[in-house]
Parts: sequence; structure tokens; C-alpha cells
Amino acid sequence: MKKNFILFLFFVKIIFCNDQIPAKKQIKPIAIINGTVFTANEIIEKGTITFRNGKIEFVGKNFSLTSEYEIIDASGKHIYPGLFSSITTLGLNEVQALRATHDNVEGGKFNPNLKTEVAVYTESELIPVTRFNGITTVNVLPQSGIISGSIATVNLDGWTYEDMLVKSMSAMVLNFPSMKINTAWWETRSEEDQKKENEKSVNELQIFFKDAKAYFVAKKNNSLQKYDAKFDAMINVFEKKVPLLVWAFDILQIQSAVAFAEEYDVRIIIAGGNDSWRIANLLKEKQIPVVANMTHRLPDRNWEQYNEPFLLPKKLYENGIQFCFSADEGGDGNYRNLPYQVGTAIAHGLPKDIALKSITLFPAQIFGVDNRIGSLEIGKDANLIIVNGDIFDIRSNVEMEFIDGKKIDLTSHQTMLYEKYKKDMRNKNLFV
Amino acid sequence: MQKIFFLFLFLIGNTFLNKINSQTNSQQGIRTNKSTVFALKNATIVQSPTKTILNGILLIHNGVIENVGENISIPNDAFVIDLKGKTIYPGFIESYSIVEQKEKNKSPQQQQSPSTNAIYWNKKVLSHKNVLEEFSKDENKFNELRKLGFTSALFILQKGNIKGTSALLNLNEETEIPNLVIRENVFMHSTLKVENVEGENYPNSNMGVISLLRQTLYDAIWYKDAKLFSEKNSLKPIEINNSLESLQNVIQKKQPFVIETSNHLEVFRAKKIADEFNLNLILLGSGNEYKRIDAIKNLKTQFILPLNFPKTPNVDTYEKSLDIDVSELLHWEYASENPKIFFQNGIEFSLTSQNSKNDFFKNLKLAIKKGLPENIALSSLTTVPAKMLNVEKILGTVEKGKIANLIVSNGNIFSNGKILSVWVEGKEFEIEKEKNLSVCGIWKLNSNETLLENFFIEIKFKEENFSANISKNDSIQNSIKAKISINNTLSSISFDGDSIDVKGKILLDGTFSQNNFFGTLQLPNGKILFLNGKKISEPKIEFDSSKKEIEISLTSFPITFPMTAFGKDKFPEQVEYIFINDATIWTSSLLGKIENGDIIIHKGKIKEIGKDLSKPKNSFVIEANGKHITSGLIDCHSHSAVSGSVNETGQIITSEVRIGDVIDSEDISIYRELAGGVTTINALHGSANSIGGQNQVIKLRWGFLPDEMKFENAKEGIKFALGENPKHSNWGENNSNHFPQSRMGVNELIRSEFKAAIDYKLSFQNRSEKQFPIRRDLELDAIVEILDGKRLVHCHSYRQDEILAMIRVAEEFNFRIATFQHILEGYKVATEMANHKVGASTFSDWWAYKYEVVDAIPFNGTMMHNEGIVVSFNSDSDEMARRLNTEAAKAVKYGNLSEEEALNFVTINPAKQLQIDNRVGSLEIGKDADFVVWNGNPLSTYSICEQTWIDGKKFFDIEENKILNQKIQEVRSTLIQKILNEKNK
Repeated sequence: MKKNFILFLFFVKIIFCNDQIPAKKQIKPIAIINGTVFTANEIIEKGTITFRNGKIEFVGKNFSLTSEYEIIDASGKHIYPGLFSSITTLGLNEVQALRATHDNVEGGKFNPNLKTEVAVYTESELIPVTRFNGITTVNVLPQSGIISGSIATVNLDGWTYEDMLVKSMSAMVLNFPSMKINTAWWETRSEEDQKKENEKSVNELQIFFKDAKAYFVAKKNNSLQKYDAKFDAMINVFEKKVPLLVWAFDILQIQSAVAFAEEYDVRIIIAGGNDSWRIANLLKEKQIPVVANMTHRLPDRNWEQYNEPFLLPKKLYENGIQFCFSADEGGDGNYRNLPYQVGTAIAHGLPKDIALKSITLFPAQIFGVDNRIGSLEIGKDANLIIVNGDIFDIRSNVEMEFIDGKKIDLTSHQTMLYEKYKKDMRNKNLFV
Repeated sequence: MQKIFFLFLFLIGNTFLNKINSQTNSQQGIRTNKSTVFALKNATIVQSPTKTILNGILLIHNGVIENVGENISIPNDAFVIDLKGKTIYPGFIESYSIVEQKEKNKSPQQQQSPSTNAIYWNKKVLSHKNVLEEFSKDENKFNELRKLGFTSALFILQKGNIKGTSALLNLNEETEIPNLVIRENVFMHSTLKVENVEGENYPNSNMGVISLLRQTLYDAIWYKDAKLFSEKNSLKPIEINNSLESLQNVIQKKQPFVIETSNHLEVFRAKKIADEFNLNLILLGSGNEYKRIDAIKNLKTQFILPLNFPKTPNVDTYEKSLDIDVSELLHWEYASENPKIFFQNGIEFSLTSQNSKNDFFKNLKLAIKKGLPENIALSSLTTVPAKMLNVEKILGTVEKGKIANLIVSNGNIFSNGKILSVWVEGKEFEIEKEKNLSVCGIWKLNSNETLLENFFIEIKFKEENFSANISKNDSIQNSIKAKISINNTLSSISFDGDSIDVKGKILLDGTFSQNNFFGTLQLPNGKILFLNGKKISEPKIEFDSSKKEIEISLTSFPITFPMTAFGKDKFPEQVEYIFINDATIWTSSLLGKIENGDIIIHKGKIKEIGKDLSKPKNSFVIEANGKHITSGLIDCHSHSAVSGSVNETGQIITSEVRIGDVIDSEDISIYRELAGGVTTINALHGSANSIGGQNQVIKLRWGFLPDEMKFENAKEGIKFALGENPKHSNWGENNSNHFPQSRMGVNELIRSEFKAAIDYKLSFQNRSEKQFPIRRDLELDAIVEILDGKRLVHCHSYRQDEILAMIRVAEEFNFRIATFQHILEGYKVATEMANHKVGASTFSDWWAYKYEVVDAIPFNGTMMHNEGIVVSFNSDSDEMARRLNTEAAKAVKYGNLSEEEALNFVTINPAKQLQIDNRVGSLEIGKDADFVVWNGNPLSTYSICEQTWIDGKKFFDIEENKILNQKIQEVRSTLIQKILNEKNK
């Protein structure tokens, strides 16, 4: 049995370890010329972008190149900032149906002291697959309980999680208790039980925050007795250094979350927010950003427009709400479809430039990393992609990708299998 | 059996009189001889829905109506009851009363011992049950029914999909059951709902229920044949089975077969079963029939209708109002019109209080206010059920010779009248004492005590309650409210002494007669006074403003097809000629892509396609400059439009179940998918079983009925499944006993089923006249059809080993698999697949969600295509189905397929796989006019579907969608306002 187990571990190791070698540090300055540069702020036709030591050095036209530059001619290509996916479990989860490959869920309801970066597995096969479509940066989210822990923002390249880390504690995840009575056929709890459970959860949340705040105040006044890991992890939240990323889909839930934030004087970001546009005035007034998750989902209600989910980003934009876009279509494996989910929003009225920002600059701003990434600006990290067409169009492909100026290997488990079977080693072996 | 049946009819026709009182009982003590002759006089007698006499006499003798009329002499021995001002109706017949069955605690012995009763293998088939065996008189239940005016009721057992036979009983709990029975074995009952029966897991899906009913009825037919065979040949019967024996009258059409339905679509499903077996069908309706009354009317079926009108939806908050669906609002608005709509459409029906219970009368009156004529209401509770139950000679009207089952009321029971009593077989049961309103008025009371020489009491009756006020003078000013209870002429009153200057509480008891009062009064100090009193004024007649009739307005919204959001009030028309002008046409055929092309459509078929065609006269023109036209998209793997579970997991092989039996033509997914350019889907059974159920190809004809959606003559198919799902690998650790647990088991399970099917097929071929008839097995029938090449296999599969092994099984049994579904490792065995000529219907890019898909790659589609396999991309998802066009674009992205070839993945290729490519899948002359108008290149993320046409009829239009949306907002705001107004009343 034991042998089998060890064998199994070995097996898993082989299967779940990607073959891509992390990129080498940028040595030579690179200049990409003649491409259409989408900086996230403007579009520069036949522009030039140069970067040195992993930082962007120049963006614009009329740059006089010297021989020290490695020159990449991007005629006919589009250059974009690397895409930023705000909601993922990349590195934490490998195969949905296999529990042993999950690190996104922890026991207990309040775990603010958990940090996802320490469980990000650089060998995940999902990482190269996600990079393939131009996503260079992701948030890694914990998912369980009421307070799940904090989010890490990571780049999708590195030998270790420390190499990958852009920012620790970009936000703290709060699963705001549901306020709604579920009437779906599969719900077995009675209306009363649901109400009770909802109230109980809200109550628990209140108690936790009161205690945490008391701890915070005591610590500020230097009257603290003993260290509490959970409450200590909340100090950054009360100091407003770390926002709460609040999962809330319903109106009541969102309203309650906003009231909660006021009560405890904390910063919040609404995630999910399917109905957030219906209370746009509130969110605008309180300047609360929204992470709109998914356009490729069904309308919540039968009577809603077939394209209601496609319209969410547009409605948030038109109502003056700060937002970014994320997509976890088909589970962990398909974060790569982020640009196409935004593409659907464009087809239904979201301006293209806003669409680009919603997966580059806006998430960088919302999660406090726009000093380093999110747009192609001088001094920022050289996270960028060269695409043979429109990034939102499925038919386009990313041809080159840079993270911190490092040239990224765009192969993956999938492309390797493609090569293996395309070349048909098997038939050669058989017939030659 | 047949003889007994006729004998029985004879009995009820003639001799029921004898059983009214037990003739054989021994008398104890002093002999009593109550009068059994009654004369009810001076009453308005509603004899039948069509005949009323105003001042009639009704003679009852021994529980039977001896005579009724205006000028009848009353015999001397009759007990005469004066019913002046009262109305007599025929007693109502409850045509559907389900007997709740509690789980009996069986002793372990009972559970283990082989049953002495030879019954059906499936525990949800309980046709051998007779309700009388499990019935116990329930006084409360009888009383509840009598309160509603019912004097007899048909009782039905609750459990199982076939529930056994019902019995019609008089509602008199004082008599033993056998003597209450008017008719037994009346109907055989069944339901299409998934029923929970302990120890029986099959069927657990709606489609499984239908399969079980069909198999059982086929078994009953076989049983008949086998029995005849053994009788003819003097052989021992091959099998004794009481459940099948009990169904003999049903299949010979001698006993009606009742099917309980829970929505209007089940009406059509039930009718199909009845037609297949030539049954005498009666339906228990659901109250939703108005939604498709136009079609239900043509079924010519008898209905028993509940009055289960929905509760007022909760719209207390903005969010709650958002969560109320349009269909729920409309049903709330419409449900009470259902009986009227039946009437207007000339469909006869019985009404039942089943499923409405305490709201029965309230709802009945509402239905009448909405337009159901009173006489129809009456007949639906009397003459119609009497006829349906075959007892019209003895029940249903107040006529000579019928059982004296009556209702006595103080007025029209369909408006303000109340039921005072009901008579069951000549025995009266009081329902409600008439309130003695003569106590109302102002009374002056006197006592012999000076302190209380005079005081006044005013008694009023308002909203079903008495109230009283006490005061010192007759002006009744400064009066004090007293507590009063009045039981006929007796009263007890308590009040605060302040009103008559006494400290403390005062109790007053007494008796009222016409104008006098006698009573005693207890003072706070315990002293007792004697009182007498006189009425000094009659009550003033007040206009009761609170009882203003709630205005009943008929709904102003038309019936739509379906009666949900985005339903339309008209079916799309097929215009004779359609001319598509100047479009980019993606033909998905050898014609390739035609720029600036035209298409002529005639009567739903493509007539011409090409450049610069001349527009036929009177064409409907689609100006398509700048637009792209493609063939309607086809989703080769869908679970949309299926009622209930898509998996029947009650057995490990379920080839007998059919998705086609449970098409949900009102699934909103249909409309949403039309909005994504999809016109045809392959609705598949799930993958929980190695051999699952039969699939159904449908066209998304939104608004049409399930059978009208079915793709005409599409070759039938079946779902197979390999790998983790049929192994139940991801069902948790508790499911490790299931067979199969491994790919070995899956493979062998399928093999052995084919072997069994061959044996089964041979048994028919080789049967001689001297052998017993062979039982038809619906499960094996489907497998034989595969062997015969009549049924396509769509096999869910992922890993290369299982794919290859399945191909080998197919080769062994000499059939060709039509498609592998999902087939995510198809690229690894593409050569073998190509040799087998199997189609591949795959996901564009899903992977990593379970272990067997870690090697899934998005290049799969293109790679298989390059190997010569017909490849399609499917959705397996109501969501993704709406954007198959951009899924197809992924074949361009991953593997660099040409755009036209990529589009074929969702047009002609799935059509080929489903073998419907002679009609759909490409834009070619002679094919169905199923097409989509896009505002740009269909593979572009930015393109939107603007119109979707099927058979030359427009089923989706982005402009019409806006109008439908406006209507939805209108329905919502109007009805939510109406609800709020009603609540504030």
C-alpha cells in the first residue's frame, strides 16, 4: 500500500510538472518596432517600445535605436500590456475533480492570516496554458469560509513563488454571507433554516470584526496583551492598506457589504456583482470598485435579456463605476479565455479601449499594482505581448510574451502533446 | 373477471338499496327504529345544473330519493323538515381524493419473507393494490370533504408510479367501509412524477417514469398473451403476477387509466402513452392547461381539474420582485381562468378539491367571477364526475331513485350562500349552524335590584361575529364593549361594570327568544341577580362598506407561446418566398463562401443560391448588404430542453429511456440558443451510465409543442458513456460499490449487453408456435436497433484506451459508432477512429476539470479533422451553446484550420454526424431554410446574431427581441402593481 502511495506521488509529480523552463533575465535591451502599440492609455501606430533590465524605457515614435538593442520588427502586429486576470486559483488547484490537487480551500470560517502565495505551485501545467493567450499576471484567490485569506498578485513566470510574486496581500477575500432565500429545487433547507443560517453567518462576521477591531485599537494604543494571528492579519485591513475583496452577487448582499464597510471603516471591492449595475448610484457615490466576473454565463433570471451578462461591463462603465473584468470559464483550466469574454462585452457595446483597460490597467489600479504593471509606460515592468492581430479576436495568436522583460516560453503541456502527435512519432515508429 | 365486472355494474344499478343499513346486525337493548323517511319542504331545489324548482318537496326513503317535485303529498310517517329560504343541491362528488400513506413499520420478518403475493419486479408499480385494502376511515378527512359539500369521493392511493385502483365511497364514517362503497376498482391510477418508494431507486427521472409505464403495459399485454397460450395449450402458466393481472382491464380498455400530470406538457406525454396502448385515458390536470388549450382541446381527453391557484407572489422588496419570474406572474394572473377557458373550448371536466384544500371554495368563486358559469361549476362537481365514474344513474342530481346525497344551504353556494348541512345516503351531517340573528338589536334588561334596575345591551353581527355593547341608557352612548358568545339562543356575556356604575367584572348568562330574554347576572361580589329583558329596537341595517366586492378584472395580457418570458402571441409565419439580397454567404458546401450572393427560399426550402438572382414577386426581402449568412448552427451535444434529470441513474443500463419523451419545449435555453444562431440540437441523455438513454434531435422551434420540435425522421440514437462518469469515480467515496468501477468493467458491461441483445433477437426469430410468446424488452429493443443499424451510438469518451476498446467492441458486433462525444484524446488514436469512420464531437478547449482530461488539448479538433475525421464542436452547456460560432473560431486559432472549415464544425459536420445532412447543415438547393443573419464574420468575437430562421420561419430577430423585452417590462410592472394594490386592500 505504502509503495503504491509513493508510486502514486511519483506519478502525480510526473504528470503535474510542467516542462517549460522559466525565462532568463533580460540582459540586452529590446526594442519592438513598427507595431501598433496599445499602451492602455493610447494607441500608437507604427510605434516603438523599448525596455531594459525588465523596465520600460521608451514608448512612442521616433526613437533612435543603437546597436545595443535587440530589435524585434512587429510590422502588422499588435502590442499590448500583459493581460491581468483578477480572479484565479492558478497554482493552487490543478485538477478540479481531484481533491489532493486543491490548495484553495481551508477549514474554518475566518482565516485572514492565510496567504495564497506560499501555496502557488510554479510547476502547474495550467500556468503555461494560461500564458499562451497573453495573460502575464494573475491574482491568486483563496476561496473558503467567510474570510478566506489574502490574495497574492503573481506574474506567470519564475522558478519559485517568490520569483513570481508581484504583491502579497493585494486584497483580503470576504465571502459575504448570502442574504437571499434560495428557492432552487435542489435546496433542501427550509426557508426558516436558510434565514437562520444567513443571520448566523452575518452575526459571526460582525463578532469577528468587532473583536478584530478591538485588537487593532488595543495594539495601536500599545495595550495589547498577547499575539493573535487572525486579528493581527486584519490590522492592514483596518489601516486601509489592504482592501476587502467581497464576493457579493445580489442586491441585498452588495448593499449590506457597503454598509458593513462603512461601519468598520474599511475599503472594499465587490467581486461578482451580477446585479451591481442595478444599484450603480450607491457604488458610484461610495467609490466602490467592482470586479465583474464572467460575461460567458447565463442570465440569472429567465426574464432577463439573453445578453444581460454580456452587458454588465458596459453598464458598469456607463454608470461611472470603477471596474475590472475577470473570467474563470470552465474552471481553473480556461482562464486563458479572458480576452474573448471581454470580446463578447465589446460586441455588445463596451468600447474597445475600456475593454482593454478592464483587463490591464484597471485591475492593476484596483489591486494597487499600477505603479508596476497594467500599462505600457516608461518605468513600468516590461510585461507585454505581441499579437498577430486583435487580442480580443479568438483567431489571433500571441507570438511573443515578455514578463519583466524576460522572453517567455509559450509552449505548454498542450503544445507539446500537439507537437508529439502532430509529428505522429507513433506512425513513424510503426511504418518506418 | 369480465363477468364479475358486469355483475358488479348490475349490483350498483339495482341492489344498492339493500346495503344502506346493515340488515343482519343483532339488536342490543331496547329496539330503536329511527325514522328513515324524511320530507324536506319549502326549499329551492337545484335538481341538476339545468333544472331548479322553487318551492319543492323532497322525499327521502331509506337513503334514497323517493320523490321530488312541487306538488307531492307527504306521507304520514315522514319526518318533515321545513327548509324555507334554504336551497338543496345535489351532493358534490369529489373525483380525486388522494389517501396519504404513512410508512408502515414493517417487522423485519415481513421484509425478508418472500412475498405471498406475486407482484411486479419494480416497487413503484403497485397496480395490484386496491385502495380499500389500505384504507381506514378518517373522520377528519370525511368531515373536511363534507364541509366543502362533497358527499361521496373517489379515493386513490398515493404511492408509486402505478398506484392501484380507486374506490368511490359515500362520506359517512359511521358506516363500515364495505357498506360505503359505491363502486370499487373504478380507475387504475398512475403519475408521471418521480415517486419515492423505499427500496426502489428506478426510475428517478421523468423519462424513466415513462419508460417504466410503457414496459409495464407491454408486460401486461405479454401476460395476457402468455396466459391465453397456456390456456390454449393446457400448460402451466409461465408466470403468475398479480400486478400484471390487475392491469388486464386497463389494456382491454375496460377500466380507465388515470394519469396525474404536474404541468401542461405532461398532458401530451400522457396522451401519447394512452394512444400507444389504446387506453381509456383520464387526466388529473395541473391547472396549467390554459397555456396550450388550443392543442389540448384536440386531444379529446377527459379531465379532472384542481383549483390550485398560486399564492400571490412575494414582491415585498425590489430584489424579491426581480426574482419573480414572468411566467410566475402570468400564472398568478391566469390560473383562475383555467376552468373558464376549458368551458369556452368545449372541454368537459370534473373539479376536485385535491391540491387546493381549504381554498377550494374561495378559488371556485374566483373562477366563477372570472367567467366560469355557475351551472358548469355545478355540473363539474356533480353530473360530470357521476358520468366519468359511471354512476350517473345513482348520483349527480336530485332525482327520483338516486342516492339521497344532498347539500342544504342558505342561498346560492356559488356566491354568498353557506352550506348548512349535507346529507349522505339520507343521513344529515350538520356543517354550520345558522347564526341566530334574531338576537341582534337593542335589549332593555331589568332586574329586581335598584342598583341595576335598567340597563341596555346592543348586539350586532358583523363579519361573521357577534359583538355587544353595554350602557346605562338606551342611546347606547358611552357604551362599553362586552365579550359575547352566542350559541343559538344561549348567550354568555361578560363586561366591565363601569358602564353601569359597578366596580369589577360582571357575568351575564341567558336565553333569548323572539323578543324576550331571561337570565342571571353575577356581580363582582358574587351576588346573583335575575334578569329579564325585552328587545326595544331591531338592528339598523348598515351598509357594510368593508365588504365591497374586490373588482375582478380579466387579464389583459394575451396567451403567448410559450407562456413565459419571450413567448410570442403568434406563431412565426412561413412566407412563400424569401429573398436574401447581397450577403456574404457561408454555404458550408462545395460552393464555399459567396460574396455578394443571394438566396431564394420557397416554402421553407432553399430554392436558389448564387449571385445576382432575380427576386421572385411578393418576396419577403432580407437586405443583407454587409451581413453574413450561415446555415443554422447545430449543437451535437446538448442537454437543453429536457424536463427533469438528464440522467436515469436508477439502473446501470437504461437504453429504454428516451429524451424524446420529456422534451421541455418551454426551456428558456431554447430562446437563448436561437439568439446565438443555433437551430438544431442533439438533446442527449447524461453520462452516468455506460449505456444511457435514447437521444432526441430537435429543431429549436420556440413556441411549438415538444413533438412539433422533433426533427422529422431524424435517425434515432442513444448515449453511451465511458470512463470516469459511468464508473461514478467522482461521486465520492461512498459510491465505490457501484458496478462498473473500472474501464474494464465498463467495456465488459457493454459487450455483455450486446450479447444479450443478440440472444433476444434470435429468440424472436427462432420462436416456434409451440413456445410461449416472448416478452418485449424495451431495453434490449434499443440495443437490437443498434445491431440492425437503425440506431446511432453517441459515445461519451475521453481517453485513448477506452476509445480504442469501444471501437473494438463495435467491430466485434459489426456496427459503426456514429460519434464519439467529447473525445478529448481523440488526437491520440485518430488513425483508428478514421478507419472506423466515426465522427468526433468535441469541446473546443475544455480540459483539466478531472483526471481523464489532463491531456485534452485545444488542437484536438483540427488534428482529428486533418486525419479525415468528421469533427464538430459541441457545447454540452446551455451557456456555451449560445456562442458556438466563436467556439468554431478556436479551430482557426489552435491548429490553423481555414475559417470555412472551422465553421463547418458547427454546421455541416454535426449534421453529418447526426445523419441529417440531407436536410440541414449547409446552404444548398433543396435543403431546409435554416439560416442565421450575422452582422459580421461569424467567427469574429465582435459579431452578433441578428436573425435566426428555421424552415423559412423567423424564430429570432434582434429587433423583435427588443419588443418582447418591452412587453416583459410591461407585464412585470403591471402585475407587480396589481399585487401591491391587492395587498394594500
